[in-house]
Amino acid sequence: MANMKIKASARGGVVKCKVMMKHDMLTYDQAKAKGTEANFITHITAKAGGKVVLDMSTSQFLSKNPLIKFDFSEEGLKKGDKLEMTWTDLSGKTVTEDKEIKGLK
Amino acid sequence: MERRKFLGLGLTAAAVLPAVLNAKDFRAEKPDTWTAQKVDAAIEALYGKITPVEEGVTVQAPKVASNGGAVPVKIKSDIPAKTVAVFQDANPEATIAVFDLSEGGIIDYSIQIKMKASGTITAIVEGKDGKFYLGKQSLEVALGGCEG
Repeated sequence: MANMKIKASARGGVVKCKVMMKHDMLTYDQAKAKGTEANFITHITAKAGGKVVLDMSTSQFLSKNPLIKFDFSEEGLKKGDKLEMTWTDLSGKTVTEDKEIKGLK
Repeated sequence: MERRKFLGLGLTAAAVLPAVLNAKDFRAEKPDTWTAQKVDAAIEALYGKITPVEEGVTVQAPKVASNGGAVPVKIKSDIPAKTVAVFQDANPEATIAVFDLSEGGIIDYSIQIKMKASGTITAIVEGKDGKFYLGKQSLEVALGGCEG
């Protein structure tokens, strides 16, 4: 469980999410200086209650250990539903983690 | 702990796989966008020739960022949209991220980005009405974040 920190809570019809992903996000320039391969997150997907709520393609310019915040409507979600985060990086590694959304009725 | 991890992985992997396959991967679809060096060229590679209206999109960033390695950027808009794309003009390549909005998606994103030098962050919102909207924010970066 060390790859991501997920916080999700519903309030007033909106689910607010905060996700921190542990990743070096080595750009091509940085990798060259270090003599290693560039590697960064290329795709992030979030799902809640079977629906995709966030879908982003990303480049090397997200910060190291990128933190993203996003909102979505809590419509159709019930108590106990989870927020599922998945990211894929340039090397093809995929990591998925989930966390229960707080405050749902 | 080990067992719980293993079970959790199996469950989520089974549930997530179809969604990932269905999701729009802009990296695979529009490869030119990610290698374009100028903002205009990147926008053209992603959306084609467009003339966005400069309204309805808010880009929030600090006027002076002390650490270019993690500049907090906030993008907000009330426009019903299909996609949102974020660009900047300080780094070797222009594109930062492309969001694909789902039903019930709200444009209120905060991300942290790297900026090599002072520059302008541009956000383009592709509305459901087929129009394009644009928001901009210039900022100064005290310490560049791409050197590592």
